[in-house]
Amino acid sequence: MQQIVPPYLLDRIAHAAGPRFPLAAEAARRALLREPPARLGIEPLHDLPSLLPDVPSSPDRRISDAEGRESLPGRLVRREGERATGDDAVDDAYDGLGDTHRMFDRVFGRDSIDGAGMPLEATVHFGDRYDNAFWDGERMVFGDGDGEIFRGFTDSLSVIGHELAHGVTEHTAKLRYQGQSGALNEHVSDAFGALVEQYSLGQDAGAASWLIGEGIFTDQVQGRALRSMLEPGTAYDDDVLGRDPQPGHMRDYIETSDDNGGVHLNSGIPNRAFALAAVELGGFAWEHVGRVWYDVLTSGRLPIDADFDRFAAETVRSARERYGADSGEERAIARGWAAVGIELPAPEA
Amino acid sequence: MDVIVSRSGGLAGLRLTWHVRVDDQPDSDDWYVLIEQIPWSEPPPLPPEPDRFVYRIRCELQDSAPASRAHDATLAERQLTGPWRKLVDLVQDRTEPERAAPTRRPTR
Ligand SMILES: [Zn+2]
Repeated sequence: MQQIVPPYLLDRIAHAAGPRFPLAAEAARRALLREPPARLGIEPLHDLPSLLPDVPSSPDRRISDAEGRESLPGRLVRREGERATGDDAVDDAYDGLGDTHRMFDRVFGRDSIDGAGMPLEATVHFGDRYDNAFWDGERMVFGDGDGEIFRGFTDSLSVIGHELAHGVTEHTAKLRYQGQSGALNEHVSDAFGALVEQYSLGQDAGAASWLIGEGIFTDQVQGRALRSMLEPGTAYDDDVLGRDPQPGHMRDYIETSDDNGGVHLNSGIPNRAFALAAVELGGFAWEHVGRVWYDVLTSGRLPIDADFDRFAAETVRSARERYGADSGEERAIARGWAAVGIELPAPEA
Repeated sequence: MDVIVSRSGGLAGLRLTWHVRVDDQPDSDDWYVLIEQIPWSEPPPLPPEPDRFVYRIRCELQDSAPASRAHDATLAERQLTGPWRKLVDLVQDRTEPERAAPTRRPTR
């Protein structure tokens, strides 16, 4: 067979095309196998890391349709393995849950929300022009948006990942949804939502947008997304919506009784620490900061009412445990926290 | 009396506020009846659900009406049923929301 695609490109596709183009990545890998490794200048396949981003996982997805009402779960319209329905909200939710399941499974070895393969349930078309998506303790629920500010909430993979990550937090660290621990709960969902998107795109930390909810605003809104993890406060600036109010530093921390104590606002502070550390380390964020954050969530050491300082200290501790004292990972993470005004005590020797 | 509904939270964390002057409504008597039906002291705190809306509903008096008629309650979206829901629907039907920045009280 004639080889048209040059080996360096095949190599890139095989490594980075990711689950977005699993067939392309698989084909590229097979094509590479046919080439003698010496000519390619790369290691033969069996030396590649075992966690390749495009190995399929086995989710058990169930998508229901609330048909414009606010009752749950609604009518079951697509089960695992069933073909696309032609309803974009249903099919986007199905695909997004698949991408999210794959990242948790392949990268962190976690099969579904509970780590034991529990079904991933979602309801779409919730309510009448409903401007929201949420996790109700059992399922992810997505509104269609009002069509003026928000288009549907299933249009963004980071939003789907965000909602599913609320389920993971509920089954692991159980961060209380109030004040700083609530903002950390939000942060964890944003962080894993961003990682799901980056993983599906095969994107490294430098190339990633670090935006949450890109594409859920209509064209009438002056804004790119709901939030920017890297530059909180810059996601939108619009006549109707006003300006993105997220702080990116402790000096701007917002005390408020709204929104369970500003959980969607103050999450900007840990979000920026996470994104800065990821960008400093470079490469795929799920391979370093993602692992550290997952370790913290599942360590059993994080109190449910942890504040930012405690969470930050746990990330540095987990980075030391995984990568060694004074490792690049530990230093980058500590610098990320310092940049948002969270100084950590020097680690005990 | 003024009825002020503010909705905060949600995935987007955007705050909307609706403000109605009851005495300017053609059916103000019905409003007062509805407001009396609401069990103001009752909504028990519910464990918050991630990304759901939070509603704060206030009835504020102008001038010299008896103070017992002022009300203030915070409800999870799931608790917005019965007369609560009816009042919020009515308020949202009669007026356009204002989008307000969060009340900012920096601590550090
Ligand atoms: Zn959330």
